[in-house]
Amino acid sequence: MTLQQQIRRNRLRSSIVVVGFVVLLGVVAGLIGAVLDLRLGVVALIGAGLYAIYAIISSRRIVARMTGAQELAPEQLRPLRRLVENVSIAAGLPVTPEVRIVDDPAPNAFAAGIRPQTSYLGVTTGLLRVMPKRELEAVLGHEISHVRNRDTYLMTMATIFAGVIALIADIGFRMLLYGGGRSRRGGGAIVIALAVVGLLLAPYAALLLKLSLSRRREFLADAGSAELLNDPEAMALALRRLQLDTTTVAYADASVAHLWVESPTSRVESERRGVLALSSLFDTHPPLEQRIAALEESGGFRLPERLPSDEPFAVELGLT
Amino acid sequence: MLWLWIALGVLAILVVLVVVGYNRLVRLRNEADTGWANIEVQLQRRGDLIPNLVEAVRGYAAHERGVFEEVTKARAALQQAGSPAAAGEANELVSAALGRLFAVAEAYPELRASENFLRLQDELTDTEDKISAARRYYNTTVMHYNTGIQSLPWVLVARPLGFREREFFSAEGDTGVPQVAFPSQT
Repeated sequence: MTLQQQIRRNRLRSSIVVVGFVVLLGVVAGLIGAVLDLRLGVVALIGAGLYAIYAIISSRRIVARMTGAQELAPEQLRPLRRLVENVSIAAGLPVTPEVRIVDDPAPNAFAAGIRPQTSYLGVTTGLLRVMPKRELEAVLGHEISHVRNRDTYLMTMATIFAGVIALIADIGFRMLLYGGGRSRRGGGAIVIALAVVGLLLAPYAALLLKLSLSRRREFLADAGSAELLNDPEAMALALRRLQLDTTTVAYADASVAHLWVESPTSRVESERRGVLALSSLFDTHPPLEQRIAALEESGGFRLPERLPSDEPFAVELGLT
Repeated sequence: MLWLWIALGVLAILVVLVVVGYNRLVRLRNEADTGWANIEVQLQRRGDLIPNLVEAVRGYAAHERGVFEEVTKARAALQQAGSPAAAGEANELVSAALGRLFAVAEAYPELRASENFLRLQDELTDTEDKISAARRYYNTTVMHYNTGIQSLPWVLVARPLGFREREFFSAEGDTGVPQVAFPSQT
């Protein structure tokens, strides 16, 4: 599959996601309208639409706030910025995305933004302290691939719609439970039971739709990074290093989990949940082991037992 | 009557296929052009930096004339290179000449301490990295474009339509087209 095909396929998927979510939203609003009040359903639909538009417009800012990404003085970031420039030139991006720093000991990175022109990358200080230059470049290649493949666009849309549906369904559900007979329209017990089940399940349907999109993106971004740098081993080494590191991101907010190069939450969550089958269904990222294996297979190499102990990039940046 | 409709349908499908295929070739060609423009930007920057570097080194090591000449000649050849392949070759000569210039500079401690020299050296290293990044992108786009116009049925009509094969910018002794398969499923 060529890159252009991939990008067009992602655009098509984005449209399908939008349509899928609009349908889901219609179902939720319809349930509210049918059981509670027709006007309420309309209000919910309009409110959801306005909220979605607001979220799309301000998503850049929201992501920065949720991940705690800071802009740093240009001088301080020069070597890092250069790495990003080189990777985006190799990717043929029209502009180099900005770099922001997340002050967090866990090594991780993310890409955000709806268009390549307005995208930016977030890198944790932990990543800079752990990764040598070669592997850091691979991680940046992974994030730049997300930008180039329009994954960030697709996932931003999916996240916003999943959030909107969860919100509306939640409000509807509460009104159904606590609203009492005052606002409840007629309709049999079966209709009400259906509505309760529908409103309860809608957010999960939205979440699953979103997660299924996010996981397969990761393999593509790994392959993209390997292709950009002509160095699949670097990406695999970086993933192995992430695997060996056990800190998780302090700011990890489940709603932005899919943005990061490595899932910031999954380890903790699946431990807590202890249900493996379910956890893989709800994970934003495929297991690192699978991702490394995919790179090894396409690159035709085996990772060494020991990771190279090159000096981390933070030293070059003068980060202490 | 029925046959007429079938014929019309087939014709319509053919027209759509031709339009889609033609547009694809145009897009691939534009991508290759963009890729080449990216390389030219970096080559230009490199060419602009070199005279400054030569001046900086001359200030400390005026008698190393042979190296200066070599660098200047390589730079002129790079600027006159008319095709991607020629530019790739000339670029390699520039790299070699610059390498020798930096090796010469090693022998002059004051030069190595000069801020101006260090900055130029840093910028040139950066440019070299960027040329190599731009080369990877350009060569990938050229590969897709050339494959596009060499495959059937376009190979039959590409030339009359004005689609000519592009040259690779092959520095560092390879064509630099990485082969990575996308895993199709999770």
